[in-house]
Amino acid sequence: MKKFLYTFAFALSLMFAHSAHAALSNEQAESFIKKVTNQGIEEIINANVSLKEKDARFAKLFNEYLDLDFIGKFVLGRYWKTATPKQQSEFISAYRALNIKTWSARFDEFKGKSFVFKGTTPSNSDNQVFVNTTVDMGQGAPAKVVWRVKDTKGELKIVDIIIENVSLAITARNEYTAYIKKNPNGLDALIADLKQKSEQTSR
Amino acid sequence: MRIQIEDKGKQMKKVLAFVTALFFLNACATNPDGTKLDTTDETTLEAYNRSVFNFNYQLDKKVLKPVAKGYKSVTNQFFRDRVTTFFNNLEEPASAINNLLQGNVKSSGVSVGRFVINSTLGLLGTFDVATGWKLVQEKADFDGTLAKYCVPDGPFVVIPVLGPATPRYLVGWGADSLASPTFWALYDVDDDGVNAVAYGAYALKYVNKRAEALTLTDDFERNSVDLYTTMKSAFMQNRQKYASLCAQTAESENLSYDFDFDDEDE
Repeated sequence: MKKFLYTFAFALSLMFAHSAHAALSNEQAESFIKKVTNQGIEEIINANVSLKEKDARFAKLFNEYLDLDFIGKFVLGRYWKTATPKQQSEFISAYRALNIKTWSARFDEFKGKSFVFKGTTPSNSDNQVFVNTTVDMGQGAPAKVVWRVKDTKGELKIVDIIIENVSLAITARNEYTAYIKKNPNGLDALIADLKQKSEQTSR
Repeated sequence: MRIQIEDKGKQMKKVLAFVTALFFLNACATNPDGTKLDTTDETTLEAYNRSVFNFNYQLDKKVLKPVAKGYKSVTNQFFRDRVTTFFNNLEEPASAINNLLQGNVKSSGVSVGRFVINSTLGLLGTFDVATGWKLVQEKADFDGTLAKYCVPDGPFVVIPVLGPATPRYLVGWGADSLASPTFWALYDVDDDGVNAVAYGAYALKYVNKRAEALTLTDDFERNSVDLYTTMKSAFMQNRQKYASLCAQTAESENLSYDFDFDDEDE
């Protein structure tokens, strides 16, 4: 049942954003995620448009409302600092492409679901807030989805999604840094591998 | 046929002894002050884990997964939901006991109420009618009870066939099996037919579980560049839910997910 979640969460994550200034308030973060999830559900998951159109809308929202530059930097850990600017941008675009492909393959699983908002939790960083939500999975306990929202110069972006206690960013970081450490070609091999994976991933 | 009963008891004892041995084995591998093992030991453990993981992966690929796929093709979602709910209901007694052990008397009552209602009105637990009556499931396991008393989790280990675990997880799993109604119902039974049904039921439980996880695991397999690390990372993060149970380690649960850019967690 968790699979629904996954899909759901990511699909939704994508949609949206918008502004506001000054320090990030709990209300701002929560209403931002409300907008994102509503748009994800209404304009993509439940929308009566072609799959191709859904994919296009999803990609747009993903790019607009997830701060992939920030996430990518975190995900590469210490290897970010030693990477060349070219490697950095190639990694980000490969990581982006793989995520978009993965999540758009699963729209159908999210149909008819909705998020229940359970307040916010402060972060150690001033400009970030955790927004807590749950999703009814049809049976059993509802699934827990936590959104990490970051305020960058007045613009709100999602920087992580924690599904049933599993952070997508931390998982990717563990996976990618372990891969780079083990592989003699390091980051270049990772980038090539990610590219190949997103080409394979298709509906 | 008395022998069989003894065998069963012996078997269970063996499992418990094994689990306990593992627990202490691993407890010893951590320094008394709780610091990590030295690097050599950690590398050895990882090498062992990876080889067991590969074995389990092949076993899944060649046996469990094909069976689960076949099962999924001949059942519908309604049927699989009934199976899930049925086995879920059998875990309520363990939840009742553990909720009590963790000091949640009200939650324990909820578990008892759910078990009684769903086992009867819910047609032997195949339907969850209790949730409709505002008795929402409050799961608790012995793993959580140990966490509540601040028993350390221990290192990540991969167990043959069983999969990812930690010593505390294994002890919890063993203890909860003892609280399962099926264990006690079958404890004294020496009828081969009944035992065959029982093993069939266990098989159904795991095949059903595997079938419901197919989409997710396929996704992991497709997208991961290091499946072992992905699985380890997800498993250990999920255990974060127990951290808030121990008063000493409790902190705002989400804080452990704060990005620390200086952290070298590989």
